[in-house]
Amino acid sequence: MNRPLVGSISVVLFLAVWQVVGSTNLVRSDLISYPSEVAATLAKMAASGELGSNAVVSLKEFVAGFVPAVAAGIAAGVVLALVRRLRLFFDPLLIAIYQAPIIAFVPILVVWFGVGTQSKIVMVFLSAFFPVMINTMTGVAQVAEPWTRAVRAFGADAFEVVTKAILPGSLPAIMAGIRLGVGRAIVILIAGEMYVSIMGIGRLVQVYSSAARAAEIIVLVVVISAFGFACVSLLRWFEHRLGPWRSELEQ
Amino acid sequence: MSHLEVDRVSLAYRRPRSTERFFALADVSLHVDRGEFVTIVGPSGCGKSSLLMLIAALLRPTSGVIRLDGREVRAPGSDRAVVFQDFALLPWRTVLRNVELGLELKGVKAAERRAAARRYIAMVGLRDFERHFPHQLSGGMRQRVGIARALSVEPEVLLMDEPFGALDAQIRALMAVELLRIWERDRKTIVFVTHDIDEAVYLADRVVVMSASPGRIIETLDIALPRPRDLDIRNAPEFAAYRHRIWELLEEQVRTSLHWPTAAS
Repeated sequence: MNRPLVGSISVVLFLAVWQVVGSTNLVRSDLISYPSEVAATLAKMAASGELGSNAVVSLKEFVAGFVPAVAAGIAAGVVLALVRRLRLFFDPLLIAIYQAPIIAFVPILVVWFGVGTQSKIVMVFLSAFFPVMINTMTGVAQVAEPWTRAVRAFGADAFEVVTKAILPGSLPAIMAGIRLGVGRAIVILIAGEMYVSIMGIGRLVQVYSSAARAAEIIVLVVVISAFGFACVSLLRWFEHRLGPWRSELEQ
Repeated sequence: MSHLEVDRVSLAYRRPRSTERFFALADVSLHVDRGEFVTIVGPSGCGKSSLLMLIAALLRPTSGVIRLDGREVRAPGSDRAVVFQDFALLPWRTVLRNVELGLELKGVKAAERRAAARRYIAMVGLRDFERHFPHQLSGGMRQRVGIARALSVEPEVLLMDEPFGALDAQIRALMAVELLRIWERDRKTIVFVTHDIDEAVYLADRVVVMSASPGRIIETLDIALPRPRDLDIRNAPEFAAYRHRIWELLEEQVRTSLHWPTAAS
């Protein structure tokens, strides 16, 4: 039997048991809901525009914070990895900030940047920037000497050494950092919106949880998971396109 | 004026946490004519690879000058292409894209460099492997990619640093035959470093023999074997005489480096 088929059996089984247990009220259905109710709620929330309008706000916050975080994280990581003095200078500070849970900064970021989208963009940026930067540094440090030597031997300048040898050579580590950043950014974005916001998926989670509406909350969890899954799939596709050598080496 | 000129070059390393200097090369002078195939043999650690890296300008000499056509060599450039012992291919690039690397850095336009890369890939017999990645190739095939990459930039001098050192003996011999076949076409100047005496004699117009610590040139032999050469020439009496002479020069060096006294002493 093929693998996706075996994997989907567990999912179908889970949904079936959930449906039976929930719809027959074996366990209180107002607490656990059940798949057909969740699907109906999803359709209702989508039709009313509630889901779409809030998702757009969250998506904009995510993109506005995440894309600059990746660009800045790669740039900072390369510079710090290559300039030893700068690295020695910043290393303790960066490690300290990286280790600190960004979620602890949520209240102060709201004080600084307001209850609207701006504070969420900063939260996404901070939670993605550090993993990308730290992983880029690791990746650059692991770039094999023959790669840079080959490029230098043909007369490459410093910039070309970075673009032709160092960046492609550290791509797998950079992509791992971006994947890590996606997970962290989603968590912080939702948490930030739940803490205080005007619109967004996290705001809906907060509203429906105070009303104890299980079906709506589960719809939102499904939407958030689907977004995370889509991000990771996109990254995987992108990574394979850029570096099929690595995935083939690992096979 | 010779084509490539190594003029009284020394290379010193400072040992870590020490003021003591260690000379990898001391006062080395070498002149290579255009179109000449020069091989350099010596015991390991004699600085023969360092000499090649100095010509490539991947290292800078402590003293002395290296000139190509009278101009001092100061930075790496595609007038001197290097073939490395470890191949130094980029694992994320296909064969075709690896061969294109030098042309890319030279600023050759995409269509033109693709055509040139294909020509050199065909020359080393890898036409069917253009889309393969280095890890999908054998060692001998990888080094053919390395050779194609070096030739593609049409260098004045081809610098080969123990290019067949990572290959087993049979493949090695065949690679040498192949290299001569390619060389016979356009007679590019080649400086080829090896520790294999047979390889050095088989390929060369001239063999330079080096001694270890500090690295010096102890002898230069003109190889008056007819060309084109095939592998059978290794059984010729003249070949044996060259082999014997070089071995005599090297034996003492190698024994010293092993701290292995001669039987007589």
